[in-house]
Amino acid sequence: MVKQILTLVALLIICTPFCYAIDAQSAEQLSKEQEIQTRIDKVGTDLLNFNKIPRRIVFAYDKREKKKFMTTDKALTKRQVILYDGTYQYIQTDDELAAALAREISTVMKSYSGIWGGTLDSLQVALGSKKFETVADKRAVDYMVNAGYNPLALIVFINKTCPQKRFDRFSRHNLTSKRLARIYEYITYKYPEYLKDNDYINNEYYQNFLLNSVTNRRMLQVKIENNSTEELDYE
Amino acid sequence: MNKFFVLFLIIFLAFSQNILYAQALQIENKSEFQTKSSETVIDDNRDEIEHNELQPAGHLQQVLPYDFSSTEYVPIKLSITKEISTKDEIVEGQKIEFKVLKDVYYKDKLVVKQDDIVTATLETIVTSGMNGFPAELIVDNFEIPGINKSQLISTYTKKGQNRCFWVYPLKWSLTFIPFVGSLTNLIMGGHAKIKTKDIITLYYFPQWR
Repeated sequence: MVKQILTLVALLIICTPFCYAIDAQSAEQLSKEQEIQTRIDKVGTDLLNFNKIPRRIVFAYDKREKKKFMTTDKALTKRQVILYDGTYQYIQTDDELAAALAREISTVMKSYSGIWGGTLDSLQVALGSKKFETVADKRAVDYMVNAGYNPLALIVFINKTCPQKRFDRFSRHNLTSKRLARIYEYITYKYPEYLKDNDYINNEYYQNFLLNSVTNRRMLQVKIENNSTEELDYE
Repeated sequence: MNKFFVLFLIIFLAFSQNILYAQALQIENKSEFQTKSSETVIDDNRDEIEHNELQPAGHLQQVLPYDFSSTEYVPIKLSITKEISTKDEIVEGQKIEFKVLKDVYYKDKLVVKQDDIVTATLETIVTSGMNGFPAELIVDNFEIPGINKSQLISTYTKKGQNRCFWVYPLKWSLTFIPFVGSLTNLIMGGHAKIKTKDIITLYYFPQWR
């Protein structure tokens, strides 16, 4: 009998600290997630309000690394912007967070337009994603500027997060270098003041973009010099 | 002797458990405090307010630069002065001119006069795509004299002809003949045009800031 009691007591001794440690750890984890969600909600709602977007869009933080393969884009089906932990890890400033969210907001907005409650337009976005990827990038720049965020953060964010494939001819996505060049061109024409008084000039990620986009920027320079309106075929 | 030893052990355990519990609580409170302190808002006119007190929602928040409380709005009808199309040489960021179609009044006061010129920005051009995807023109940033931009809901989108309605059924019906279905990829969507007879309605919310 005494042996049994002693065993029970020993078990209790061993288990109790573990239980409390796990409890405290999960509480800490929860508060950390709450903090991230609050930050996402704040920046996301700022983008919606400053752009006077009269549609419902919700934001969610997901602890998973990335979206599961072959799952539907919740931005188009549920009008929900999901920021995965794998992406969030790259985000340092609110400008970069706004960049990530603004891109998704522009995709969601597409799902609200057109017939059958936006179903056809959503389908078009899903099928012709290469084309709408560029549109979403450009709209994201507008949303960011209207909400007071620096649009160059979109370049920094994409430069950090999106890998560079070899070709895009048969892909559903553009080459990242092309996307970046188009965003840079869009900012050059529409919001040149951000390049003139460039807050990102001492940002190492932005400088890295400048380094890897010399050829594309050279093409743009020639286009500007020639007052051309031709669409450039970036590398 | 044995009984005494067991009793002593139980009492000792109870004490140590209490200590552990207190330590765990301390960690928990610390993390909770860290979260709360990051949320603390300092009002310009007062010192930091303790979060332990229940406050009505928004009580501590700063004054926002916008207020969408009012539902009162006045429609402003416009038409473009010169037709534009995605076929033409147009660029993003280009300024476009619109004409006010009729006088706009708010509380018997003339806000915008008929034939007044309003400028806007051609924000984004979406070129037409394969499989009948239509082109699109997005116009925003309307500048109406005497009206603050923040009081307007003004994004205007014009799409070209959407040929997906018949291109996709055609594609699917031709898929049984090898490679023929893919030929429908070459069918492009319609160009987007803003014609002079198109009526564009903006919504002016006089009470918004």
